[in-house]
Amino acid sequence: MSSYSELIKNFEKIRAYMRDFYVYGFKSRDDYQSKSARSYDDERRRLESWLGDHMSFVRTPEGKNVFISIDSRTIRHNPFYHAWKAKSFTDGDVTLHFILFDILYDPSIKRTVSELLKEIDEKYLSGFKEPMVFDESTVRKKLKEYCEAGMVTAEKEGRRMYYRRTEGTDISGLNDVLHYFSEVAPCGVIGSYILDKEEADTDAFTFKHHYMTGAIDSGVLASLFTAMREKRAVTVSNISRRKDLPRRNRIIPLRVFISVQSGRQHLLAYLPEYNHFQSYRVDYLSNVKPEEPTPRFDELRAELDRMQAKMWGVGCKRSPGGEERLEHVEFTVRVEDNEEYIIRRLYREKRVGTVEKLDEHTYRFLAEVYDPSEMIPWIRTFICRIVQMNFSNRTQENKFKEDLAEMYRLYGIDKEGEK
Amino acid sequence: MIFSELYSAYYNTIAAILSRIIEGEHSEKELQKIVAERAFGESLLTIIPAFKNEKWQLVHGDMTTPLGHKPTMPLTTLQKRWLKAISLDPRVKLFGVEFPDLAKVEPLFTPEDYHVYDKYSDGDPFEDEEYVRQFRIVLEAIRNDSQIKFEMVNRNGKTMYIRCRPVRLEYSEKDDKFRLITAGWRAVSVINLAKMRNCTHYSGQKELDRFEWDRRQDTLTVKVRDERNALERFMLHFAHFEKQAEKLDENTYLVRINYAHDDEPEMVIRILSFGPMVEVLGPESFKKLVIEKLKKQKNCGLK
Repeated sequence: MSSYSELIKNFEKIRAYMRDFYVYGFKSRDDYQSKSARSYDDERRRLESWLGDHMSFVRTPEGKNVFISIDSRTIRHNPFYHAWKAKSFTDGDVTLHFILFDILYDPSIKRTVSELLKEIDEKYLSGFKEPMVFDESTVRKKLKEYCEAGMVTAEKEGRRMYYRRTEGTDISGLNDVLHYFSEVAPCGVIGSYILDKEEADTDAFTFKHHYMTGAIDSGVLASLFTAMREKRAVTVSNISRRKDLPRRNRIIPLRVFISVQSGRQHLLAYLPEYNHFQSYRVDYLSNVKPEEPTPRFDELRAELDRMQAKMWGVGCKRSPGGEERLEHVEFTVRVEDNEEYIIRRLYREKRVGTVEKLDEHTYRFLAEVYDPSEMIPWIRTFICRIVQMNFSNRTQENKFKEDLAEMYRLYGIDKEGEK
Repeated sequence: MIFSELYSAYYNTIAAILSRIIEGEHSEKELQKIVAERAFGESLLTIIPAFKNEKWQLVHGDMTTPLGHKPTMPLTTLQKRWLKAISLDPRVKLFGVEFPDLAKVEPLFTPEDYHVYDKYSDGDPFEDEEYVRQFRIVLEAIRNDSQIKFEMVNRNGKTMYIRCRPVRLEYSEKDDKFRLITAGWRAVSVINLAKMRNCTHYSGQKELDRFEWDRRQDTLTVKVRDERNALERFMLHFAHFEKQAEKLDENTYLVRINYAHDDEPEMVIRILSFGPMVEVLGPESFKKLVIEKLKKQKNCGLK
């Protein structure tokens, strides 16, 4: 039986727990039935160890609920990055790592594997009671890993292979840049890795409307970006809300769609098998495996560029034959005197739609989109001034109005007479 | 590979410990402090003991090391690829810094590879020379803990002359704007950076306090009905607030959210966007605002 460690080998296992504790936070131990009780206890303990004060508990009749509660405005660094810094390693890994880079402490120093082995044994390990023994293949394998990571280069001289560390990169002037972009750029955890090397911490930034959950998906995102840069298809596992088991799909990733208002990230991809464009929640994706490069990448991305002018969010309905069905959405708002901010809101938030001024106090928003249901939450933010609506999809329009009637009922104003 | 021990808190902590030992520090207590500062909650039980029992053969029992140099590590290709990616972001011009030579590095992503689709379109003018100049003055003042002065036109069209001590810059991804948080004045504790004019360093003798004014916080209580995936959407939408959720019955949840009182108008429309799936229970003043809006809507004559 293996003993508990605060480090982990596989990030995927902890990903779902973090998301549940942070996003939901009302589940008790019993709600995690699909996982073993011991696994739950271990993961919870790890999160406590990594996130410290951000973890909270509440006792309910169902048991103790664990949740992560963070006001993103009060912190300067995404606490979920800690989880990315908890990778386990072997005793040999860590010993070899520091010794190898101590020998190769400057790019001018080069060594063969046998020279390294000799130095490791004689200079570094001989002083220990029971010195570790590294064989040639272990050292060679480790050097290969470092070459792949770009930290070491291998050069052949005659029949001998020499290893040296790569040149350093001067990042001394990038402190503010790193602090800012490690929070706002995709895969910001990589910026946080770089910041960990910096001594000075002159952090000047905090963040409002800051969705930190995306950090948990950085691994998937980095693999998808790499595939896009190399114009490759990928096979990926996708968990559907409606199905228990993840499905493997072969897709061509085209672009990541990021929402700064809902906290969601989607991948827009093409499914060659179905001649279909589809959006996938990035947090539902895992196990991204790169496939062969595709000659169609540029053509498909150009098609997505064209489609984007009709997308309010990530919905992109298109039949396998390539036919598109667009829906017309139109609503009119009345603006009182001194409510210029409403007009400003319409213009700054209209995305792919247009705004028409009908008179001093009336403005109309119009759009042709694939999926009008994506716009409903936004249209609701204009409640108190919507005087007219016209959707080509009558079911959607009627649903909006039914919802309004239900809200009147909810707050007891349904029976109040109109003015 | 993004998940690697090379970037781990343990490797960084070990590097810091070895550096201190090489500098001449051999006290176990002092080295434990490094663990407490840099690693995780339970790392104290692991790191120093792993040295002491020679599991990790980098430090001898007397807290000396056979290593001859303070540990350093070159940037990995992944780190360089990310740096290259952010060097392509237009906002990087704000900082006026020289990036290292990354000519041979492929970016991890480019602006073409992702699309932020719901950011407001009236964000700050990040490429405007005057905006950039003022941004840098503010940043420098934050770093140096010094004061700045500037002009700003208030809501009534009147020019205000302000001297303040910048504390930090708050960036909103949704608004795509920077706000300056200041110390010393309650009336001008938050300033939109784009509204500042003629900003310069203040070199006079007048002092200002260094504390930030606390913002009034309120707690919103709502009932969420889990239909049309509302619970998941709601919890994710409000994920960046301090909050607590409780299950009431099979598909009803009670959620309490702490928010800054100044953001109440924004919170009201965010709640309204969930339609009848979310009902405000309190505070009364917040509920009243929602009801007022609904009453006004009812009178809009929408058929």
